Parts: sequence; structure tokens; C-alpha cells
Amino acid sequence: MKGAVDTQLSDSTPERHWVYIIVACLSLVGLADAIYLTIEHITGRSVQCTIIAGCSEVLSSSYAVISGIPVAMIGAVAYFTVFSLAILYLFGYKFTQLLLLVLVGGMFIATLWFLYLQALVIKAYCQFCLISAAITILMAIFLFLVPRFLRKKM
Amino acid sequence: MKKILPFLIILAVLGVALGSAWYMQRSSSESPKPSSTTPANTATSSSPSTTAPVASNAVPGAEPAHKLGPDSAPVHLEEFGDYQCPPCGIFHPILQEMKRQFGDQLQVTFREFPLAPAHEHAIAAASAAEAAGLQGKFWEMHDLLYEHQKDWKDAFDVRPIFEGYAKQIGINVDRYKQDVDSEQVARRITQDGNRGHSLGVKGTPTVFMNGREVPFESLPADKLRVLIQLELSTTAR
Repeated sequence: MKGAVDTQLSDSTPERHWVYIIVACLSLVGLADAIYLTIEHITGRSVQCTIIAGCSEVLSSSYAVISGIPVAMIGAVAYFTVFSLAILYLFGYKFTQLLLLVLVGGMFIATLWFLYLQALVIKAYCQFCLISAAITILMAIFLFLVPRFLRKKM
Repeated sequence: MKKILPFLIILAVLGVALGSAWYMQRSSSESPKPSSTTPANTATSSSPSTTAPVASNAVPGAEPAHKLGPDSAPVHLEEFGDYQCPPCGIFHPILQEMKRQFGDQLQVTFREFPLAPAHEHAIAAASAAEAAGLQGKFWEMHDLLYEHQKDWKDAFDVRPIFEGYAKQIGINVDRYKQDVDSEQVARRITQDGNRGHSLGVKGTPTVFMNGREVPFESLPADKLRVLIQLELSTTAR
């Protein structure tokens, strides 16, 4: 895995740049989504049941907070960091690539965990949490799978 | 320039993110609050909206409505609730406590607002309460449904459970079984729902005090108690 990262680091072709542009754009959508969820969580409106199903159960569950910090807020920080790293990479700070891969990899695993919690433990889905999950999965696909596919083609 | 450009972009995004978070937080905490949220306000403001009628485009809802307390009560609380909604279950004993404390000074009206399909048994539960209501035992069924919410909300088939409740409150179970699927019961639920929609109800529990929506953050017992006391003091003037 380390080797694969190293080779990616060395051949930053222009074709690969659009991957990071897409990731930066996705992270902005994720950031907006996570900010919305954080505000919902903090203002307590999230505890109400709404016509948009599920958010109440998910955001008011004990899993929505990790040592006092709302998960949504951690998500917002993560998305902002992804955006920052992707922008830095695009401007030539190549060392950020490895950080980005580690961060998005971690977010991907966290997303799987939260999907598991929603599906099997809380038994309720939250629309905006699912949007966040979709964004993280897309980011992981663009960072981990698309470069591989491109390399094979070249 | 090129060296600092990425940092400028990052800072700009951070600024926009923090700004929008601050704006969203401010607008969501300000908009629904009536003038009487804090005791300090009442001394100075005459709270002009206290006696304001319910929005003029509001439709009436099912008649006769389920009411506890006299029509002459100075404070009317109207709850739009869903029996399967956990926060409604939490709010139920709070409302009972208010009724006990304020007695005839408080009238409580319950409106059905089942959030189907999000809550799969919400309509069945609303129907059970309304069917019991046709035999004059609405509040007895209402209480049982809320108090035993955890027992039935994840059940596959709630019918036998609700029939058990019907038996428990001493109504004619055969008639209940017919009523629960009747058009009359369905119509009452639809009428309450229509009233909720016309008042802009988006979730449950939503509570109106003398026609004004009580912000969701003010529904815990200690805050609601203060709001009712304030309302009593302003209506007495």
C-alpha cells in the first residue's frame, strides 16, 4: 500500500489533478451538510420528529456524540481538512496526498460504522447523514480507485 | 502570490463556513421565540401576540376536539402529536404534570399528527386512540399508547396489542375493532392533520399556546411551566 502511494506521489500528471478538484468540491458539499447537521444537533430541533424521517432518532441517539462533541461537528472539521489538503495538493504541496489518503480512509471506515449503526442499531436513517455517507464514499472512490484505473489505462 | 493563494482559498472557505454556521444558529434560535420566553421580557413588553388568534388560514381540525380542562381556561395548549414519536412520549408526562399543576387554568387539546410513513405504526396508534374516543375513552387510550410506546413501536403487528389496551380500558372490543378501520376515524385523523399542515406543523410534538407556537426548546417541564405562568400573568392583566 505504501508503495502504491509513493508511485502516486511521484507521477502527479495533470490528468490526476481533476481527481483532487472533484474531491475538493465534494468536501465542500460535505462541509455544508455537516454544518447543517451540527446546527440541528446543537439547537435541539433535531430531537423533534419531523416529516423528513429519521433525523430525530439518529441525531438524538447516544451515538451522535463522542465524548461530548457532536459527531456532525467532527465531520465538519474532517471535511474542512479534506478541502484544505486537496487545495494544497493542487497548488503543489505534494506531501498532503498521503495525509489526504489516510484521512479519507479513516472517514470511509467511520462512514461504514455509522451506516451500520443507523441500519441495525438505531434502526432509523437520517437523510442528511446519508448524504454525508454518499459524499465520503464518493471521495474514497475518487482517491483510491480512480487513480488505479487511470494508471492501468496509461 | 501563488504561494499564498491556497491559504487564502482555505481561509475564505473557513470564513464562509463559520459565518453560515453562526447565521443558521442565530436564525434557528431567534425565529420561533415568542416575546415572552424570558421573565425579563414580560416586565417591559406587553406581549401583544398573546391573544392573537390562530393564523387566519388555519382549518379547524376534527370536531369535537379532544380537550382536557374547561373552555374558559385562560391558557390553551394544543399539541400535535404522534404516538410513535419518542420525543412525544417524553413530552407526555410533562403535559400531564402541567395539567396537574395548573388545573382549570389550563386547557389541553390533542391533535393527531401521525408521521407516516416514517413511523410505521403511527396511523394505527392514532386510529386506536380515535376509535377509543368514539366510546368516550380517548384519553385513557392516549395515555396507554404513550406510556407503553416502547412496548409496541418495534412490534411487527400492533393490532392485538392495541386491542389488549382497548380491553384494559374497558371499552367494547368488538365495536372498537370495527371503529378502528372506520371512515369516521380516518376522517378525524385527516382533519387534524390538515389543521396541522395549515398551521405549518412540520414535526412532533408541536405545541401551540393560545394560538402561538411554543419553540421546541421550551418544551422541557421547567421552561414550559415558566411560559404558562407568564401567559397566565399577561392574560390576567
